[in-house]
Amino acid sequence: MTAGERTESDHVPVVATDHLSKWYGQIIGLNDVSLTIGRGVTGLLGPNGAGKSTLLKLITGQLKPSKGSLTVLGQPVWGNPAIYLEMGVCPEQDAFYDRMTGLEWLMALLRLHGYDERAARDTAFQALEEVDLKDAAGKRIGAYSKGMRQRVKLAQAIAHEPEFLVLDEPLSGMDPLARRKTIRLLRNWAANGRNIIVSSHVLHEVEALTSNILLMHNGRVLAEGNVHQIRDLIDEHPHTVCMRAKDPRRLARELVTNADVLSVRFEGDTVFVQTAKPDVFYARLTEMAANGSSGEIFEVTSPDDNLQAVFEYLVQS
Amino acid sequence: MKRAPSFTNAVFRVFDVAVGQLLWSRRTLFMMLAAIAPIVIALIFRLTDAVGVSTLRVNGQQVSGPVMFGGMIWLLYLRFIVPVLGTFYGTALIADEVEDRTITYLFTRPIPRGAIVIGKYLAYLVCTVLVVLPSVMVVYLVMTPVGGGSLGQTFPMLLTDLGILALGSAVYGAVFAFIGARVPRPLVAGLVLVFGWEQVALLVPGYLRRFTVAYYLQSLVPHTMPQDDVMSAIQSLFAEPPPTYSSILWLLAILVVALWLAARTVETREYVLEQ
Repeated sequence: MTAGERTESDHVPVVATDHLSKWYGQIIGLNDVSLTIGRGVTGLLGPNGAGKSTLLKLITGQLKPSKGSLTVLGQPVWGNPAIYLEMGVCPEQDAFYDRMTGLEWLMALLRLHGYDERAARDTAFQALEEVDLKDAAGKRIGAYSKGMRQRVKLAQAIAHEPEFLVLDEPLSGMDPLARRKTIRLLRNWAANGRNIIVSSHVLHEVEALTSNILLMHNGRVLAEGNVHQIRDLIDEHPHTVCMRAKDPRRLARELVTNADVLSVRFEGDTVFVQTAKPDVFYARLTEMAANGSSGEIFEVTSPDDNLQAVFEYLVQS
Repeated sequence: MKRAPSFTNAVFRVFDVAVGQLLWSRRTLFMMLAAIAPIVIALIFRLTDAVGVSTLRVNGQQVSGPVMFGGMIWLLYLRFIVPVLGTFYGTALIADEVEDRTITYLFTRPIPRGAIVIGKYLAYLVCTVLVVLPSVMVVYLVMTPVGGGSLGQTFPMLLTDLGILALGSAVYGAVFAFIGARVPRPLVAGLVLVFGWEQVALLVPGYLRRFTVAYYLQSLVPHTMPQDDVMSAIQSLFAEPPPTYSSILWLLAILVVALWLAARTVETREYVLEQ
């Protein structure tokens, strides 16, 4: 097939919802959402509690719609396990069978996809290699770092080579180098004609993967479109980054010399930095982690304060 | 082209994963203790007999090894160990995965949810049987010779006991698998069922006892209890046990219905994981 040709499945939206709602008792998780998500990478952006995880759980068939309809790749999801042949899911929760090694875990899950023992082993190794965990394949997951756990979770989602990946906060807790590698991996994955929905409360993360976003707030889709449209608004608000490091004071010394860093504070081994230019900051942080100038950085996270402020602004206006 | 495993294949693949998890879980320690405790009791019984210390007597007569063994099968294994293991493991089949938030990894595979329940149930059954039955055999070998009991003569009875215990484990496991899939605090509900409902219903005259698993299991036990006041009272509770074939059919029916309900519940129920 040439690039210009299209198969019938290319016209089927990856996700289509019609007046989709989800309630948890009296609490509304998702409120009357009608949308169509096309091919490629789509970022789902919103502060905590916006309804991102609820939408992703509905898309992945973990929850049943309270009202409305939902199809994925043209098929219903709830009660349709065959859909998981073409869907890979990387959930938000940091939960594993800790006594298993990464390889054992992936093999066990691949066998549930119908792989025989040998094929499961080969495929699991391949997936672990893709997320840079081949050396830790025989190590118990319980002994993995947070970043490694995030990567093994991603490995189980991509191992069976699904057409559609659903990733809930996949970069949370990764160190800067692992983030860079994971973003590259996901870009390559999408470049091969596959589809991804990735949720995050950090604009920078989503922006590194796609310019196509869905903005969510209070259980509703606030806007769909290009990320650059909200870019300026985001930049008006300082962005907070938390870094857990071996030598937090050394890291802070390195960072504070830069003009875009507005403030620095400490909590134990964690440094909280406010920056006016997250792009510049993250790029520099990755370089610092790569050349080791600031010592070892274990984990990078970003609270959603800045995004919450932007959403409040958007809702008010 | 990708193809999902068949239902049977999926059951065995889930079983494969679940056996490993069960064997290495913290609960296995509890299971081992439950299996070792009767062996310790049997050894004490045998030791006191060997050194000539007076052991259990009824109406002035020493209770023989086979009779004591029969009492342990009913009172210790069937009324305590098997239901308790069923409660601890059966209720945990799905509830533990939900509590640990690992259920997502199983529910996002191209296999029916019912296959997950049945695969895990089979893993429970195999683990329980592999722990309980060897314990029973050791107890049998230790206790039967006391008071002149013959291993050869009582061996068929042992086989019946092993069959009853396996059937009891299967039925209790299925009942508690359903409770674990349906009820928010399944362990508490399971313990209430075993130590509340089953105890009370067996004591109340009338038809209530027919709604317990223990009623049907009791009718299958081949041992005769020794005749003293306490034991006679216990036996009299089951003065009119149902016929053996009827009990087996009822137990199988409970097993199938409970397992079907457990699978159906997991197929149709949504599990909202705590964030």
